[in-house]
Amino acid sequence: MVSDGVGGSDKRADGAEGTGSPLADRWLALDRGWQALALGLGVVAVHAAGQLAGVL
Amino acid sequence: MRLVAAARPYVLGLAVLAAGALLANAVAGAVDGLQPLVVAVGIGALVGNTVGTPAAAEPGVGVDKLFLETGIVLLGAAVVVEEFLAAGPTVLGLVVVAVAGGLLLAELIARVLFRLDGTTPSLLAAGASICGVSAVVAIGRVLDARGSAITFAAATVLLFDAVTLVAFPIAGEWLGLTGRQFGVWAGVSMFSTGPVAAAGFAHSPEAGQWATVTKLARNSLLGGVAIAYSIAYTARSATEPGVRRLWAEFPKFLLGFLAVAAIANSGLLSPAALDSIGRVSDALFTLAFVGLGFSIRIREMREVGGAAVGAVLVHLLVVSALALAAVRWLL
Repeated sequence: MVSDGVGGSDKRADGAEGTGSPLADRWLALDRGWQALALGLGVVAVHAAGQLAGVL
Repeated sequence: MRLVAAARPYVLGLAVLAAGALLANAVAGAVDGLQPLVVAVGIGALVGNTVGTPAAAEPGVGVDKLFLETGIVLLGAAVVVEEFLAAGPTVLGLVVVAVAGGLLLAELIARVLFRLDGTTPSLLAAGASICGVSAVVAIGRVLDARGSAITFAAATVLLFDAVTLVAFPIAGEWLGLTGRQFGVWAGVSMFSTGPVAAAGFAHSPEAGQWATVTKLARNSLLGGVAIAYSIAYTARSATEPGVRRLWAEFPKFLLGFLAVAAIANSGLLSPAALDSIGRVSDALFTLAFVGLGFSIRIREMREVGGAAVGAVLVHLLVVSALALAAVRWLL
């Protein structure tokens, strides 16, 4: 069952060996909490940009 | 192209989560009063315990925790700061009393009533009082607990996560609690964040928000509890927690939740943008809850020990009864 995100680095199996993509490797090396923070702020940034562009 | 290749292992699992989420919305749309998030957990649990999770789908299905945490970050957009500030001191007080009292109570019940020894009572107390399995693991690291003790305590917490996920919404309905009362009650009494949010949203959107915020306040106490345990176990040669280790255990997505709440309440975003962010959050929760269902393993839960179950059950009954009285009186 899903527990909390505390300390959840949640390394993917393939992330440990390297995927061949530096961007993907860097992303997979991040703690899951930072990943969620980045994704969440990214979604908010997209909405802010959409609002500025007059879409929202 | 390398990025596409790196994403490929996740595609099948993500498709499974998406299919489950779409089905959950379709079923909930067809049956009056059924919450999509509850159906999503049910679909995941049903498939996970009958068909199982194909090995090729496991990496993608495992992204559910990231979806849950991102959904919580975006839930910050739905927070009306004035409302939470008004009830904040009461809820925070409840959280602190529940965590501190719950830890002592769980230790007492496990050691005196059920004769458990070693680090197991502390691991059970942390899991039941702070934030589920992650607290078990974090406190286990601080106390240098044996791997088997951590696994045992984690399995016990998971068993109660599954049971309370079903029992709390039913009890909340039966007790006639308001959204705020139920959310705070679930947030104070239940164990892991995913089931707390799922139970809250199963009651109502308002309950879901209160449950999540209350639970996040509880989670944020993990660092302090880790320090307290480290000091308490010093005589028993526990390792120093260290600021770096505590920071490693701190749930960073909490910072995102606070940042999004601050942005949403600053007036920078239009109501349409906030609504849209809320819909993205809902979609992420539905995906996460399908994965939550997949991770419920009924067979594994049968292997949990009787004394540990007894200790956590007594703790849960006492804490939830006291918390229920408190939310009815204070909120």
